Amino acid sequence: MYRSDLEKVHPALPGLAEGLARGRVGRRDFLRTATLLGLSAPVAYGVVGRITGTGMLPAAHAQGQRGGVLRCSMNIKDCADPAIYDWSEKGNIGRQVIEPLVMLGSDNIARPWLAEGWEASEDLKTWTFRLRRGVRWNNGDDFIADDVIANFTRWLDPATGSSNYGRFASLRGPEDGDPMLDNAVEKIDDHTVRFNLRVPDLTLPENLTDYPALIVHRRFAEDGANFVENPVGTGPFLLREFAIGETAVYEKRDPAEYWGDEVFLDGIRYIDHGDDPAASLAALASGQVDLLFRLFSIDQVPAVEGLPAMRLYQTVTAQTGVARMKVTEPPFDNPALRRAIQACMDRPVLLELGNQGYGEPAEDHHVAPIHPEYAVLPPLEQDYERAGALLAEAGYPDGLDLSIDCVAQPRWEPTTCQVIAEMLRPAGINLAVNIMPGGTYWDRWLTAPFGFTSWAHRPLGVTVLNLAYRTGVPWNETSYANPEFDRLLDQANGTLDVEARREIVAELERTLQNDAIIVQPFWRSVFTAGSDKVEGFQIHPAEEHHYYRTWLRQA
Amino acid sequence: MVIFLLKRFGFMLLTMFAVSVILFLVLEINVDTLASRVLGQFTTEEQRRLWLEEHGYLRPIWVRYGEWIGDMLRGDFGWSTRFNEPVAEILWPRLVNTAILGVCVFAVMVPLSLVSGILAGMREGSATDRSITFVSVLTTSVPEFASAVLLSSVFVFALGWLPGTSGMTDGWDWRQMVLPVMVLTLYGFGYVARMMRASMAEVMQSPYIRTAVLKGLPYRRVILRHALRNALIAPFTVIILQINWLLSGVIVVEFFFSYKGYGALLLEASLNTDIDVIQACALIAVVVAVGTQTLADIGYTYLNPRIRFT
Repeated sequence: MYRSDLEKVHPALPGLAEGLARGRVGRRDFLRTATLLGLSAPVAYGVVGRITGTGMLPAAHAQGQRGGVLRCSMNIKDCADPAIYDWSEKGNIGRQVIEPLVMLGSDNIARPWLAEGWEASEDLKTWTFRLRRGVRWNNGDDFIADDVIANFTRWLDPATGSSNYGRFASLRGPEDGDPMLDNAVEKIDDHTVRFNLRVPDLTLPENLTDYPALIVHRRFAEDGANFVENPVGTGPFLLREFAIGETAVYEKRDPAEYWGDEVFLDGIRYIDHGDDPAASLAALASGQVDLLFRLFSIDQVPAVEGLPAMRLYQTVTAQTGVARMKVTEPPFDNPALRRAIQACMDRPVLLELGNQGYGEPAEDHHVAPIHPEYAVLPPLEQDYERAGALLAEAGYPDGLDLSIDCVAQPRWEPTTCQVIAEMLRPAGINLAVNIMPGGTYWDRWLTAPFGFTSWAHRPLGVTVLNLAYRTGVPWNETSYANPEFDRLLDQANGTLDVEARREIVAELERTLQNDAIIVQPFWRSVFTAGSDKVEGFQIHPAEEHHYYRTWLRQA
Repeated sequence: MVIFLLKRFGFMLLTMFAVSVILFLVLEINVDTLASRVLGQFTTEEQRRLWLEEHGYLRPIWVRYGEWIGDMLRGDFGWSTRFNEPVAEILWPRLVNTAILGVCVFAVMVPLSLVSGILAGMREGSATDRSITFVSVLTTSVPEFASAVLLSSVFVFALGWLPGTSGMTDGWDWRQMVLPVMVLTLYGFGYVARMMRASMAEVMQSPYIRTAVLKGLPYRRVILRHALRNALIAPFTVIILQINWLLSGVIVVEFFFSYKGYGALLLEASLNTDIDVIQACALIAVVVAVGTQTLADIGYTYLNPRIRFT
């Protein structure tokens, strides 16, 4: 592909390719940004190969065997409304039937899916998405622009309560509670949609990969807004049975009806083994399931390694947990106290004790080293002298008593809280760890003064910053409100050049560190395990289950 | 006898009433949590208040209690927030599953423990007695959560003989029942066997047994005709009361083996603050506890004329 061809796709691409050639832009950065700007993933891989001589096309799809039902152990929660999905498990229940416009591969790179491609204007405020033709809903309707518009209209209605309300803030008014802008999503023709953004946003395609952005049928709301009772979708499987806490059963859809390649599996069956991690492992060991959603704790890794005919899957992610302080709640409205708490942390030790060393230390700003725009800041060091001075400044020269809320499972979360408590003790801060069962903590994760919240993997650093730290968005659990931070974030969202963006992100990282709203101990690796009968499955950094190429080896 | 029955029955109702009041107060006093649970995490306080008002949660507590207990008595257990279904739809099948598990456990445990208890009690201090006592003390002192892990690591992970979970997702499978029944039997067996042994030993020392032996009756006949009938009275109560123990035991065992029963339901509901389900499960537990107690009292009175009330 020549320079002029690249320019046709997006004016910024030639410069990006040059950056790649000179080594200013990393291979991953290039792939990510190029695919975001509308270059298809295979072409982007090809460009990388030509420029740097290290082509890395994903391995050609191995020919699989048809047939068999894949059985997977996973919690089955209420999955009625995809717009308000808030767990990866819910996303996996949905995504076998309903599909996203843009798909995030297990290599953390976005690919066109129901959208065939897209172009962005130079100022990144107008995006034109071309929808794939020949996609049929399993009720017989054609997939058209109206479907996309209906989804966006629902997501951006504050009454829906969708986290997409924060994700696509550039399509609505700036204030919390503002409705979608009038011509934000414009139908050009049946297979073309144009997005007119209020502010530039680079992350639009990436945001379309997240689990609440699975596309439902245009009449979803009128037909009862219940996906499990009325599972209309474009995907390769049909939902046949669904019972919360028990099972979800899928059957392969007639391949002639499905737009993509024929899938190998005859069906999928999710089985809920409850909240005891030992149960799902026992089910795997005795061949009752072929795959686990997740190994809930690292302690299970040796157990899996000891089993015959098993495969262990692992990948480093941007999954993390944050001990976040609510800046509107005393005593956490006192920045000196928050900084004192941060100063007590020894991050490598936190990683070692909290997650047995599987992952990378984090730096209290929620941008991961695997994110393209990650900027390296000076490492944070444990400093009790500084902590003492800050405590005195905060008005607690003799220390104080605090308590942190956290979930009981997965275990690394309470363990990490306990390590944090131990590290605070020498400074005179007594931290009580209040361990709550899962359901209870999630009732109050937005209101607890001090709580430990786990965050899922997001492909771009700015995505989480938009979701959790922008003023007034629904998932802003710290109640952080900093106009300067919001302004910088808008700027980062509109900056295409990876290096220019990294500079802004460095500023964002410094701002977050300085405002000291979270203690973020580490980035985690995720694990799962499956029988070696399962072929063509890849662990996904966001724990998404894509069974398009998965097949079962039959004896 | 009639007065006794009425008394027991009245006492039973009083206990249930007291427990239901406590239950209601504990679970429903904090209505805010309930609202956020039902409406989701992103709702405003105003939305929650409106919902509470609409669903009558802002009325005086005794009015709500009266309504609630009325619904319960009519078999309307409310709505499960976790399963998004009426509680009754989930609860009854789960109770049936637990009843099946319970019947299996009793079918194995009762004969096993009675026979061992009798064998041990027949000759106090013999080698048989000592080994049976040793085994029953050992199994009773290992809690279910430990024996479940132990048995599953042996039979599932090491030997691979038995399925690791008992969800019955592909229909009924007796192999999936083995481990849960084994764990519960191990725990209950020792206690019943020890009671049987004590009762048997006591009877064996009573004068009429000595008389029977001395007058030359065959030993077999002494045991079956004379000793057993009297020795079985005390263990009968214990066995009935084991149903109560079983109710707590199934919580651990069903959760561990993901058997879809009442115990797992109660635990899941508690973990997810599914208030209506917790209330219904707790009420069932009270009914079973008080009911078995009454049954044991009546049965004991019937079997043992010495304490029969008039």
